[in-house]
Amino acid sequence: MTSTYQNLEVFIDQQQNIAHLVFDRPDSSANIFDQQTLEETLEVCQALAAMRSLKGLIISSAKPNIFIAGADLHTLSQLEGDEMTHILKLGQKMADAIAHLPFPKVAAINGACVGGGLELALACDWRITSDSSAVKLGLPETKLGILPGWGGSTRLPRLIGLPNALPLILTGKLLNAKSALRKDLTDDVVPKEHLLNHAKNYLQHGFRTMPTFPTLHNPLSVNFIKKQAKKSLLSKTRGLYPAPLVALEVACSGVLASHEESLANERREFLKLSSDPVAKNLIKLFFLGEAAKKAKVADINPKSLEPITDAAVIGAGVMGAGIAYWLTTRGYPTLLKDLNPDALASGVHHVRNLYRSAQKKRVFTAEKAQHGRDLLSATTADVPLAKDLIIEAAVENLEIKKKIFATLAERARPDTILATNTSALPITEIALSTPNPERVIGIHFFNPVPRMPLVEIVRTEVTSEDTLARTLQFVQKIGKTPIVVKDSPGFLVNRVLVPYLIEAAVLFIKGEDPEQIDRAMLDFGMPMGPLRLLDEVGLDVGMHVAQTLAEAFPDRMHVPTMLQGMIDSGDLGKKAGKGFYLYEKGKSTTINPAALQYQTDSIQIGSRSTIAKHLNNLMKDETERCVNEGIVQSKDDANLAMILGTGYAPFSGGPLD
Amino acid sequence: MKDVYILAGTRTPFSRMGSDLAHLSASDLGREATSSLLTQTGLDPAAIDEVIMGCVCQPADTANIARVIALRSGIPQHVPAVTVHRNCASGFEAITTAYERIQANRGNLYLVGGAESMSNAPLLYNKSATRKYAKLGRARTLTQRLQALTSFRPKDFSPIIGLKVGLTDPVSGLNMGETAEVLAREFDLTREDLDAFAAESQRKALASQEERAQEISAVYTKSKSIATDNGVRADSTIEKLATLKPVFDRNTGVVTAGNSSQITDGAVTLLVGTLEAAEQHGLKPLGRLIDYAHTGCDPKRMGLGPVKAIAAANHRAQLSLADADLVEINEAFAAQVLACTRALSTEGYAQQAGLDSPIGQIDQTTLNQLGGSIALGHPVGATGARLTLSALYQLQTRQQKRALVSACVGGGQGTALWLESTL
Repeated sequence: MTSTYQNLEVFIDQQQNIAHLVFDRPDSSANIFDQQTLEETLEVCQALAAMRSLKGLIISSAKPNIFIAGADLHTLSQLEGDEMTHILKLGQKMADAIAHLPFPKVAAINGACVGGGLELALACDWRITSDSSAVKLGLPETKLGILPGWGGSTRLPRLIGLPNALPLILTGKLLNAKSALRKDLTDDVVPKEHLLNHAKNYLQHGFRTMPTFPTLHNPLSVNFIKKQAKKSLLSKTRGLYPAPLVALEVACSGVLASHEESLANERREFLKLSSDPVAKNLIKLFFLGEAAKKAKVADINPKSLEPITDAAVIGAGVMGAGIAYWLTTRGYPTLLKDLNPDALASGVHHVRNLYRSAQKKRVFTAEKAQHGRDLLSATTADVPLAKDLIIEAAVENLEIKKKIFATLAERARPDTILATNTSALPITEIALSTPNPERVIGIHFFNPVPRMPLVEIVRTEVTSEDTLARTLQFVQKIGKTPIVVKDSPGFLVNRVLVPYLIEAAVLFIKGEDPEQIDRAMLDFGMPMGPLRLLDEVGLDVGMHVAQTLAEAFPDRMHVPTMLQGMIDSGDLGKKAGKGFYLYEKGKSTTINPAALQYQTDSIQIGSRSTIAKHLNNLMKDETERCVNEGIVQSKDDANLAMILGTGYAPFSGGPLD
Repeated sequence: MKDVYILAGTRTPFSRMGSDLAHLSASDLGREATSSLLTQTGLDPAAIDEVIMGCVCQPADTANIARVIALRSGIPQHVPAVTVHRNCASGFEAITTAYERIQANRGNLYLVGGAESMSNAPLLYNKSATRKYAKLGRARTLTQRLQALTSFRPKDFSPIIGLKVGLTDPVSGLNMGETAEVLAREFDLTREDLDAFAAESQRKALASQEERAQEISAVYTKSKSIATDNGVRADSTIEKLATLKPVFDRNTGVVTAGNSSQITDGAVTLLVGTLEAAEQHGLKPLGRLIDYAHTGCDPKRMGLGPVKAIAAANHRAQLSLADADLVEINEAFAAQVLACTRALSTEGYAQQAGLDSPIGQIDQTTLNQLGGSIALGHPVGATGARLTLSALYQLQTRQQKRALVSACVGGGQGTALWLESTL
């Protein structure tokens, strides 16, 4: 134990004969497994194995919120072939070395323990976690198009049984301490101050006797479990994402094979997956998302910015209420204002319903949900608006918005950021109608706000750097992914999405089978068919944006007059109970026979893949134009925004990849 | 002495028990009123020195409800909070406590008021059942458990109605309605007198919906905007009231549900502070609390509480009934308000109420001009604050100077406040 290590510290408690292995990556808030850390860990294990007097090992982290955040993805994503095989073997060897130490091992987890971190913990006899909200356990590899390849796919099913392990491996879901305890992923949850002492108690338990699951881990049962899981996977992924399917095979065959066979299987399949473009795209997307969450305005130190501490939302419609809900869930006192008491009442009701369903899904405890609800206040009166941020989400009418901004400018503080959630109106024009246009900006959320991760931050020619930087920081703090775009009709996402939706409707009017159109895009990898999405958005709303765009780009966009018939007769979509499909209690039932009446022709352009290619080309070309016009800063930004804002097939890497 | 002002105020609508606001707890209601007041004034809640709230049926799950309301309304942790209880005058008590704190140099800005959800008054187990449940809780073996279980009798499961015992004075053994019957008998009040008073209260309340709207902040709940007091009846007449059966003395009684205050949910909040505090936070005072008195009386005749309280407040403020441009006496019962006006003005009745001699006549046209608790309801912990808020708005609307507000208090007390408009 003479050598010193870069990424970890080892010391022996001589009185109790317990070894402590503490991960502490230098100059970083996180511990990750890079090659050097793996080698150091392996070296430590070899040294400890020789110390006969030792009674146990406790593995912990010196970082306050992270145990080990997983493998070093940056390096991993560059590796290929033999290099990749080497790192896989090294990781597996490290985990095996821990597992084979001749005394009991406890992982004392106080923070994120994911991917390779959990694979290390799984090699220990016992896992105990603190009750901190930072504790997250899971194997998110399949989300990145790969699989747990350092023994995780092998060890987890053997520890908690195949039926419990599969959901974790296949969805990549992360569990908090309480859920992890329920799933047997951890053995105990204690306050963080007692974590290390309690770890010592666990050493007294000796080695763990592994459960055997004879009724589950036999060929017959495994086959059945696999079949069921495969069915549900295929219906969710439409076969477009190979990683979960491969991970399923590896995990299932793993419980029936020897440890070594299963590890070899992990390596082989990992290698195949990692060279697939899907994995490369998903990993790249992950990095882009992480970068967007940390992006800052050049030359401005985020710490020097005046933080936003409270907000008002003007307009209690679906968007306004959705935004108000989201802000309160993130701890911001939020005032919801609407002139109409009935609209305000239904907005408040919408917020409370969102809390109710989140509480049902155990996103919040009863106390947290009440706290969130209590952060919302509501008024119809002209009250003082001395807030840090005001987000206007009123009706999409330029004159009305200008009037609202005039009064906001009067009632707010001089340093209040005045934002609009408009999806297509010219923000520069709104800004110039106020006395301080430099503090006006667009914060464009997507519907439904709680589920859509993207926020377009729209800067105008006159938006100040300070306003932009504070807004960017705010959007990051509320857990959304910001993309900065220029003020231009439709910004990025709607400018690309709406013409695609309208074209799908036009194909329908010309005679295409609506289910054929929707299925074509589902097969392509969109989360929802365009006609169904248009039903969700509302045909009138789509038309409104289309008109704005047609005025702005008359040379290539036209108002699709053939859709006017459907609008006039009220076939507007889900909100009307009928659009391209019929809806009952919010659920779609069948194609709306009335809509078929509007078909003017019977032109069918071909197979599903022809339809998909036609519609996708529209999106591709328009995204390209947006990049060329400088609406977004880069191709990467455009790809990320399209994927997060429209659900554009993530495995493809985005329209420009 | 410092001058103490009411700087702002608002309230929830008052809703009959079991109606629009019944699903909200007392702390929900208190939070609604507090949050509305903070929103309307734009006050930085960190500037508040203390939160003082009245609440009579203090719910078991929110001990010191003032603290719960304060924290839930976004008032920062460092601001302390206390719940006060002077029964039906708890809302007044919150105001006078703030006054005393200010006089004692403890602070200069207080958020006060009252919150009551009478819909949520609990049902209680009786003593025998409580004992048996305790025994069951301690039982360890199966035999012990069976023994404990079999000791229950049907009567153990008939609950005590929290509201009923709460409205009964444990010293005299009379419930509030019965004390009103005592006053009706001793002050020669007929059923017609009481019903006429009640009908008038309803009429005035109905006519003043719009004026009262300025006191009220809407509560948004269950997809509806609740903005009006729903106890007010459009169809109340003396004839209709005459058809109601007496509640507390079935045979010869005169007190009915129609000529008593309603059981109601609601909350009121006010900001009480000095002129410096008003200036510092950009608040325009509604009025000044000139002086006040809390006094005691016979619990059996608790309805007479205002008589001695008004006499004492007059003495302290050096004012007489003639100085009041308007008077608010809480309408716990028509019998009790009428007994008070007789006692204040009439030889003989005055002595019966413990005065040496009558102290003056209340001009009936200035009494409870927007109706009273018979029409609006009486959420016990909040009423005192409502009377104060309403009187100050009335003075402002009518461009008048002074108001006298008072209430009787279960258990035999009275409170009276002299207020002055700051026009």
